[in-house]
Amino acid sequence: MIVSELLLPVFVVLATLAVGAYLVGVIDGAIGAALGAPRGQSAWLAPLTQGAWLLTQQANTTEAPDWRAWRLAPALYLALAATGLAVVPWSPTLIPTDLTTSVVLWGSVEALATVVIFLHGWSANTLLALIGAYRYVALGLSYILISMFVLIGVALPAESLQFSQVVASQAEMWNVIRQPLGLPLFLIVGLGMTFWGPFNLADSRDLAGGTASAVSGPPRLVWNLARAAMLVAFSGVAASAFLGGWLGPWLPGPLWMVIKMLVVLAVLLLIGRLVPRVQPERCVTLMWVVLLPLSFIDLIWAGMEALL
Amino acid sequence: MAVSWLSRLAARARVPVFPALGMHGDTILHRLALTPGIELVDSPRHASILLVAGGVPPDLHEALRRLHDQLPAPFATLWYRSAPLSELAGDLRVDDPEALPEALKRLHRELMSGRRDSSPRLLPDEPPNPWEGLGDDGHGGEGMMGGVPYGRPMAMNMHDDIRDGLTLDSLTVTLGPFLPVLPPGLGAKVTLQGDLVQSWVTQLAPYPIALENVFHEALQRPVPIAELELARARHHLQRLAFSLRLSGLEHLALVALRLSRGLNVESRVGRLHRWLTRCGFFRLTAAGRGRLEAGQARRVGGIAARAAGLEEDLRSRDAAYRRLGFTPIVQRGGDTNARWRQTLAEIDHSLQLACRAEQEDLYSEMTEAVETPRGPWDDYRPEDASDILEDLLPGLEWDEALTTIASLDLAGVSEWPLEPLSETSLKDDEERQA
Repeated sequence: MIVSELLLPVFVVLATLAVGAYLVGVIDGAIGAALGAPRGQSAWLAPLTQGAWLLTQQANTTEAPDWRAWRLAPALYLALAATGLAVVPWSPTLIPTDLTTSVVLWGSVEALATVVIFLHGWSANTLLALIGAYRYVALGLSYILISMFVLIGVALPAESLQFSQVVASQAEMWNVIRQPLGLPLFLIVGLGMTFWGPFNLADSRDLAGGTASAVSGPPRLVWNLARAAMLVAFSGVAASAFLGGWLGPWLPGPLWMVIKMLVVLAVLLLIGRLVPRVQPERCVTLMWVVLLPLSFIDLIWAGMEALL
Repeated sequence: MAVSWLSRLAARARVPVFPALGMHGDTILHRLALTPGIELVDSPRHASILLVAGGVPPDLHEALRRLHDQLPAPFATLWYRSAPLSELAGDLRVDDPEALPEALKRLHRELMSGRRDSSPRLLPDEPPNPWEGLGDDGHGGEGMMGGVPYGRPMAMNMHDDIRDGLTLDSLTVTLGPFLPVLPPGLGAKVTLQGDLVQSWVTQLAPYPIALENVFHEALQRPVPIAELELARARHHLQRLAFSLRLSGLEHLALVALRLSRGLNVESRVGRLHRWLTRCGFFRLTAAGRGRLEAGQARRVGGIAARAAGLEEDLRSRDAAYRRLGFTPIVQRGGDTNARWRQTLAEIDHSLQLACRAEQEDLYSEMTEAVETPRGPWDDYRPEDASDILEDLLPGLEWDEALTTIASLDLAGVSEWPLEPLSETSLKDDEERQA
């Protein structure tokens, strides 16, 4: 009882967080090297050496930060990533937390991410971090509705708000085919909530690192880890919602999940490197004027398909 | 034991270097960006080494001290072609660009292994201005209504919003002169509402930029047109690389830098242009803000002028260029988008001119004036035009403002030419470092 309902779920979530975040570093480094970054040390070692350096670096202070919020924000973002991973089903039986409302829980993770990222930028009490925080709120408000419509779309054929049911409902046909608009829209949501690549409005180079511009040492390590972990959690949810989760021939279910999550991760990281940062105003316009109507269409499509 | 294991691992990390640029310091960054094992970071908080590259004018020493103290321990400072501050006279100074990467790596290793102490703090750990807030929580000057705690005005809702009527508190801050997203040396007092620039006052002009010697020679005697045009293309490619890095296209920035380092008359820029178009650079990032009026465009000169439709190019007065069939390229828009299209078109044009000029062994014929990459140099060198930012930037969002600044070449031209770096080929350099 204790093993199956407490120890195993906690172990699965923590192991996925740690290994997944490391793999994000490795894959991103490998993509960077393939695209022509100067070849230094191996991609396998780079995340570890950078992590070690951050552990040896002093955690700095700024002038009058909101200490509690500043130190808590990276940990909260990591906790949100862990919460998201906890509802990702690995097989019909291996599910850390099989809530009947797990889709709703994931929605709340997306909404709370906006709060936590704003907190991270605001509490540093420095200019560039604050601008990053402001910008992220604009982005967060924009992607959240798109995400909701897309996720309701996958809940309709399953007639359930439970990710395990959503996966089971894809036994005949994966949602990526059944609702062709869904996955592309959801990937954009993922880049938004992890502020990665084209939607990196919060921690971008033009803000010298944005909400993380004034952070150093272990808190920065936690923040980087949390961002990578959120990408992993997102890829788990995307694989469950659109790519049939554990479903697949020959291989065991959890292995299929790993493969599908790695594919989603690789696609996100590749987009992150290949597409420039979108100007914030253009980004918000794109979300409300183009992507939100598309998510309506996706939902109507899903509804019609469920009725027929 | 555990600590030494961690330190050994940390010593193997890519060396995070924050560059504080002095005069003509930016050229070494183009080389460091391509050096394996070195990472140029954007915030002093993310660095293990402060690299002061180029001479820092004495009036910026106080700002340099403040910057120095922002690096978290353990850190070290390395002076490249720059005299260390008097308090740091014992610091390592390197003048040889070949030796710089290894010196940076060695410093990092020594810091991590504990063989070198962290650089000392230069300023007392207290706010630069005294606390002048009032009230129990100390957050206000006069009650809740403002005042100047720590010498800065409170974020106050004193200005009407100039965008959409959503009024946020205005925040006035000083930026530069070492902020890496601005041209080296540029300092400004900026009032922001959210991420919207309300006002911009340029307080410190950017350092004059050094041009390659061939532009200086062209005013003394005829010089090979191929050489002149290759130097022009190199200058623009390096500016483009800066802008691409700023917009998150690191790999294309490296493509531009590699192209600029190995540039010859056979080089072509068409592939880079296609990649930029496909990835959405012109539509998503350089999306047409920062439009210059004709007067402003004429004042800035060069690419900015021609991107705004002014057909002004001294090359068309040179008989040798006319023999090559030279006519200036112009764009209509005058905004960021038009400036980058113009830049790419001019790089391409320069490479074609260089190719033909080399075949025909053509030399420039006009020595009383030269069209530099920064604009026309006739009786006077191109002068600093950074004060146009005061009219140009208000009303733009932070991202648009920075994209606009990056697309403009505003600094004046230095009276001294660029000191040539050694001729080591890029490939050798990268292989040796790897």
